Amino acid sequence: MSSITSTTHDQDALLRAGIDRSLRHPVMFFLTSGAAWLAVSILLGVISAAKVHSPGFLSSCPLLTYGRVYPAHINALVYGWGMQAAFAVIIWLMARLSRKECTMAGTILTAGHVWNLGVTLGVAGILLGHGTGMPWMEFPSFAWPVLLVSYFAILIGSFIQFRVRKEGHVYISQWYLLAAMIWFPWIFITANTLLHCLPGHPVMAAGINAWFRSGMIFLFFTPVALGTAYYLAPKVTGRPVYSYSLAKLGFWSLAIIAPWAGMQKLVGAPIPYFMPYLGAAATSLLFVPACAAAVNTIRTMTSCPETLAASPALRFTVAGITGLIVLAIAAVLLNLPGSSLPLTQFSLSGYGFEILALYGFFSLVMFGATYFIVPRITCREWLSRRLIKIHFLFSVYGIIAVSLVALFGGLLQGGGQEDWQQPWAGAAAFAEPYAVAITFAWCLILFSNIFFFIHLALMWLRLGRRSSHPTLLVRAHGSSPHGEEGDIDNAGPGHATAH
Amino acid sequence: MSLRTFILGLSATFGVAWLAIIVVPYLKMRDLAALPFPEEKATSAGIFIPKRSGRVTDGAKVYAENGCYLCHTQVVRPTYAGNDLYRPDWGGLKNDPDRGDTRRETNAYDFNGETFAQIGLMRMGPDLSNLGRRLEYLLAAGVNSEQWLYSHLYNPRANTELWNSTCPPHPFLFVNREVKGNPSDDALPIDAGPGRELVPDSDAKALISYLLSLKKDHPVPATLNFAPAKKNDEN
Repeated sequence: MSSITSTTHDQDALLRAGIDRSLRHPVMFFLTSGAAWLAVSILLGVISAAKVHSPGFLSSCPLLTYGRVYPAHINALVYGWGMQAAFAVIIWLMARLSRKECTMAGTILTAGHVWNLGVTLGVAGILLGHGTGMPWMEFPSFAWPVLLVSYFAILIGSFIQFRVRKEGHVYISQWYLLAAMIWFPWIFITANTLLHCLPGHPVMAAGINAWFRSGMIFLFFTPVALGTAYYLAPKVTGRPVYSYSLAKLGFWSLAIIAPWAGMQKLVGAPIPYFMPYLGAAATSLLFVPACAAAVNTIRTMTSCPETLAASPALRFTVAGITGLIVLAIAAVLLNLPGSSLPLTQFSLSGYGFEILALYGFFSLVMFGATYFIVPRITCREWLSRRLIKIHFLFSVYGIIAVSLVALFGGLLQGGGQEDWQQPWAGAAAFAEPYAVAITFAWCLILFSNIFFFIHLALMWLRLGRRSSHPTLLVRAHGSSPHGEEGDIDNAGPGHATAH
Repeated sequence: MSLRTFILGLSATFGVAWLAIIVVPYLKMRDLAALPFPEEKATSAGIFIPKRSGRVTDGAKVYAENGCYLCHTQVVRPTYAGNDLYRPDWGGLKNDPDRGDTRRETNAYDFNGETFAQIGLMRMGPDLSNLGRRLEYLLAAGVNSEQWLYSHLYNPRANTELWNSTCPPHPFLFVNREVKGNPSDDALPIDAGPGRELVPDSDAKALISYLLSLKKDHPVPATLNFAPAKKNDEN
């Protein structure tokens, strides 16, 4: 009996090692180039935030004028880092969960290079003054078909793996990832064709654009991050998911509510009146799916407190899920028609909300996944616990500062804007101290992510620790960077006898 | 749950919203019918088409490319959604010398000639829906709105009233060139060096004519006029 179990166990381990090996280069490519884009995006974010309080900063260079740097910052963050991190996680998780090796690594890598080319040309296009002026879609119009085609080439393999897998249980992560893989092209094609190819009414175009931004957050980044959290939490702790029915509630309520959200940015603009208010209601209601998933994953992770304290993957994930809870509360508090919505519609709060979603929630979960996946596919352990800690602390303090300052500074700024008896200059001055704080916080995040990128690049070069003892956040392996056990290169995590 | 049921479920939940707030409103708004003006308003009988003068399309492109929409909005919300209308010169003029109070909310015809309505993201600067009319009205006699905008574009803080403006300067939209013959009419009143002058380039010119076309000085037909009926028409 025990020998049969151990054979199955070995076969399982071999299968996992095979999957990891087949995906080593695609996953590392997306993570590393994504991390590089993240650093670029944050650098652009620092420059643009500095310009809000010191408009003369670098102003003689047309490439670096605020109106070009800011869209470059957001688009690099969304398409350079966000989408690529999502690709890395989707292809790896879908292969692991379907238990199929990747046979299309070459295609994925080629398409990944095309994607990066598209993003590079797009960002360069914005900086050179060819942006389209549609938020989150500022890449010149040649870029979106390139991105779309490479998207399909990157993810078609994961879809096929799911189709040809041995029938069986479909895990929660697979629901979220499959849904994200279907929603993204749907919203991306809709928004881009309607805005670039079939121009309709200009105000409706602005509405579609607002819906697109909300859809990218809640129908792509959110499900990818939640799918990842639902994988990491039980996997690392070794405990089952807290509640399956809560997971179902969370998933289907997201699927029902999120497509209606987004148009609250157009309250008062001349489009059919029901649309912005429906958008506000839907965004507030997103509290339900967000909390269902957050409670479920956090309850799973806290079922094993000592692992939670030691594992870098879980620490980032739990921070990201906390970001989701703050995001859900903000979604309710910032979108109340008649009280907070007029204040937040055109203030810093919108930026705070987007950054909280992209960095404070999505990116932190992606970092968690990175710390889990990379040692498995490179068969090396992370070099330094201290680098991971620096990354965590600076990211978390930085993002708390950026998003809280922007969310609440935005409310005060909005109050100033609505006070019509005061001259306009007063309202404009409200934002200035918050802009200074945001600049400083972005600097912290930039610092942490430069180290993250270097750490990741070293791992891809297979310069990680050759040890079967994972790099944990507590001192479990002595003071030597190679661990005091000294069992170098005996059995990496991908090896058949490793656990 | 099979893959087919799953995809059907997703298509249903997403598709309903997609049809209801994207596809159908898009098709419905695609060709808005021109609104007739009532006959008794003799000022402009016929149909309502707000005039946009100048190089609107080119200027809108420059506006988009240089990210003006990041800090400036172009929407005056009705009073139930914000206090924009109360400001004296955002949605029209409170005391228009000719027509009295002309303030009104943005309507769907205000963006004629544009492909994307630059509703805007943040209000770091003032709303621009009525910029053209506001400048005409506010500037002292003898100051040309075009000249004022060129100077503002070149360096917003040069104006002492806007000493703490956070609007970025755009010197790259101007050309420093040798004066040949008489100085240009649109040269900036800034010393550009001996025998030289600073003149706006074609992008700056297009942008300014677009900005000056942003006006709410046109009477609207009764069907679009949501202002409460006035008791006396003196204001």
